[in-house]
Amino acid sequence: MNFVGEHLLPGQIGHFAAILAFVASLVATVAYYCAVVNKEEPVRESWKKIARWGFFIQSIAVLAVFSCLYYILYNHFFEYKYAWRNTSRDLPIQYLLSSLWSDQEGSFLLWSIWNSVLGIILIRTSRKWESPVMTVISLSQLMMSSMLLGIFILGYKVGSNPFMLLRQAEENQVAPIFQSPDYLSFIHDGNGLNLTLQNYWMVIHPPVLFLGFASMIVPFAFAFAGIWTRDYTGWTKPVLPWGLFAIAILGLGIMMGAAWAYESLNFGGYWAWDPVENASLVPWLLMVAGVHTCLAYKSTGHALKSTVFFFFLAFITILYSTFLTRSGVLGDSSVHSFTDLGMSGQLLIFMGAFTIPAIWLMIARRKEIPVLHKEESTYSREFWLFVGSLVLLISAIQITFTTSIPVWNKLLDLFGLKKLFNLDEMAPPSDAMFHYNKIQIWLAVILGLLTAVVQYMRYKDTPRRVLGKKLLVPTVLSLVITLAIIFAGGVNYTDYGAGFLGAIYLMLFATVYAVVANVLYIISDQKGKIKAAGASIAHVGFGMVLLGALLSSSRKEVISLDKMKMLSQDIFRKESKQNARENIMLPLGVPVEMGAYHATFVGDSIAPGDAKVYFKVDYERKDKAGNIVERFRLYPNAFVNSKENALTSNPASRHYLHKDIFTYITATPPLKDKTAPANDTANYTSHLVAEGDSIFFSKGFMIMRGIEKDPKNRNYQARQGDLAVGANLEVYTQTDDHFNLQPVYLIRDSAYQYSIEDTLAPLALQVRFSKILPAENKIEIKVKEADANSDYIIMKAIVFPYINVLWLGVIVMIVGTLIAVVYRVKLNKGSVKATAARVKEKV
Amino acid sequence: MKKTNIILLVVIAVAIGVIITMVGDFSTYETFATARQKEGKEFHVIGTLDTLQTMTYDPLKDANFFSFYVKDKKGETRKVVFNGAKPTDFEKAESVVLTGMMDGNDFHCSKILMKCPSKYKNDQVVLGKTEPANKPL
Repeated sequence: MNFVGEHLLPGQIGHFAAILAFVASLVATVAYYCAVVNKEEPVRESWKKIARWGFFIQSIAVLAVFSCLYYILYNHFFEYKYAWRNTSRDLPIQYLLSSLWSDQEGSFLLWSIWNSVLGIILIRTSRKWESPVMTVISLSQLMMSSMLLGIFILGYKVGSNPFMLLRQAEENQVAPIFQSPDYLSFIHDGNGLNLTLQNYWMVIHPPVLFLGFASMIVPFAFAFAGIWTRDYTGWTKPVLPWGLFAIAILGLGIMMGAAWAYESLNFGGYWAWDPVENASLVPWLLMVAGVHTCLAYKSTGHALKSTVFFFFLAFITILYSTFLTRSGVLGDSSVHSFTDLGMSGQLLIFMGAFTIPAIWLMIARRKEIPVLHKEESTYSREFWLFVGSLVLLISAIQITFTTSIPVWNKLLDLFGLKKLFNLDEMAPPSDAMFHYNKIQIWLAVILGLLTAVVQYMRYKDTPRRVLGKKLLVPTVLSLVITLAIIFAGGVNYTDYGAGFLGAIYLMLFATVYAVVANVLYIISDQKGKIKAAGASIAHVGFGMVLLGALLSSSRKEVISLDKMKMLSQDIFRKESKQNARENIMLPLGVPVEMGAYHATFVGDSIAPGDAKVYFKVDYERKDKAGNIVERFRLYPNAFVNSKENALTSNPASRHYLHKDIFTYITATPPLKDKTAPANDTANYTSHLVAEGDSIFFSKGFMIMRGIEKDPKNRNYQARQGDLAVGANLEVYTQTDDHFNLQPVYLIRDSAYQYSIEDTLAPLALQVRFSKILPAENKIEIKVKEADANSDYIIMKAIVFPYINVLWLGVIVMIVGTLIAVVYRVKLNKGSVKATAARVKEKV
Repeated sequence: MKKTNIILLVVIAVAIGVIITMVGDFSTYETFATARQKEGKEFHVIGTLDTLQTMTYDPLKDANFFSFYVKDKKGETRKVVFNGAKPTDFEKAESVVLTGMMDGNDFHCSKILMKCPSKYKNDQVVLGKTEPANKPL
């Protein structure tokens, strides 16, 4: 059958390029391998030439795959499943890239491109290390390109082809629509990009993160090359800039993800210990550990084995995290992982292909790796670098252990242990944040202290008096600052008891210490020479990140608490504290108190060409005298799907130097209500009250203050012979302002009972005084809230204080690390200068 | 014995200690029946939405009260109460993972994790609508 209107050429070119990339990287891998193992120099050279061509061709091919896919997405060729799934015609052009890497195939492609770029740089710069290092990188390219094949080999589907046509997809093959040649005329639009990914962070976060992922292979490759070629020490010199580069970029990528999570509030903050976040944090921690032991080795000869171990483990955990997030194994514990593409087996092979040879080589040649038998001094820098790396390792182990719960379940199942011991299926801790925090906080304390102290130590040994003298000023200064912060009320977090607060105080000191000591070190010991102070700058940043995390999370506050409902219903219930009522209703035009502010919902608006609805919320802050000292308007917005009344919300925030105020919409009334005629079907509810009793309604409560014998109500005109009483009602809304109401009950002509209601327009409240019950000394009040025509939003507002300390810390840390990269590259180039500099080399 | 070795031993001991305390934190996947037996402790319950019974979320009355019915893996249906706003697209959830505890006959949950059907599986449904029923093949 000939189908009408399909554009098959870009897909065919793309698929051909994908296969070419696979074949070319296979050639590169084999040729580089031969270039290492062959004994004769000329043969090695010719293998190397072939390998280079292979790698070069695969790089071009990967780029071609990328271009074809982009071309298809750009032109909205919905005959391709990838385009249909991830784009729609109204998708703003800047998000086309986000849709390119929103699926597994696209993100592998991104990773593969970065691998190619790094590979080409390595070919040009790594000289004698080229062949063994590039063998490893080409192998990873081979694995990566196999993920994009989508070919059946021996009945097993290898990879997933991004150029698959919609009609070829397994689930669509029997669909009748694809039996007609002009099926494309029925497909007018694509499925569209996941709304949470339509965010500018999602355009830049994935490329940076995957550059980080890709660069993690380089230290692995160098360490592997060193052991493989039995040059056990030479690789530690070229590896350092690469390790630092990986730390900087992966760290930046992770924190960009955190910034996205923060701004879109998809995780309820910047860090939630979600398995997806953990999976990329662990390799970063291990790489940091590896770089530090590598420095210790270069200066003293200690810790070579642990350096190899950390570099290996850092990349292995990258592969493991790839497996976790892409195999679907996290399904029940994270919403943010990819769906299963049926490639779990292939991902396991990917992991095994690097893990098994690396571990095997390390064990087989453990005796050949040089070890220094002299013991380190307790006052030496290398000793504490080593201790710090082990702390990082513990941190990594703890995070991995909990994140891997779904894997443990699978393993226990596999070996039949679960049946044997009658075990329940394990689930992640119910309070995951605290589970991680209560362990990690102690490790952070140690790391903070080490970051502050260790650089004041020298390699090999430090005279104790010198150390004490140098540490005196930073220690005292940090203590003073810490106490000042505590007494100023900067940290007060008692949700988990005094013990945890104590830990927070300790961490506060440790992080302040890390920042202060490093700043002073740059000034006093490095004489402000920025070029050589990269490490110290990075350490200042690291301290600031921890400090910012501590300050912002210990004082994060939800200000949109619905205190009214807490009062009325469940203040005495045991879970009322945990289940704080964090959503508040803002009726149109009624100011509602939130923290120090009054917020008013003043309407919504739609901009042409924008699918979002913008809600206008005015904030006002008054001083004690009632003068408005601050006023601003926020526009939290949401994609509103009117058919299903579903909404995907984007927060709006007010940024200050010292805090951010987030506002976002959690619910709106069904949209059709706005156009429907107001139907006043709400019923009166009766309340029997005595003097002093209160009546609750949705937006507040009222108190019966007493009976007025001479009632005044604008709807009531007294007549001779009336027997009239009014009920004095004080109405309190969610704001602190209150109103008075006086419904009237009267008997006219000694026979007819009337009740004259009183109304409160802004709250759409109608109140009736309908009966007197003399026997019980009570009266009956009927309350009606005409709500069907009212307009409102349900929103949540959160204050994050001092979050900018964290973001600034990230920037400082990245800049510092990059300065260190440049410094190391220069050191490696100029050998004369290097030896001179190595004498006074700093961490 | 070298100091490094001692440190290593300490680290291993700490790591083992940490891991043991961690396992105590782990929750388990339960059904409503087993969660009821251990009332007062938090569990994870996996189930599907019972769409035949009503879902209640009336923000005008209370913006932080959402109740719905869930059928667990054993087929038992329970009312679930969540103190918060109704999550977007909740009706579409294929299955839900609830974190919380039994309280009387209701399950009070503090966290809801929804598993929405991947966009893949809807392909047929969505496209099928545009297809005239009696199209000649």
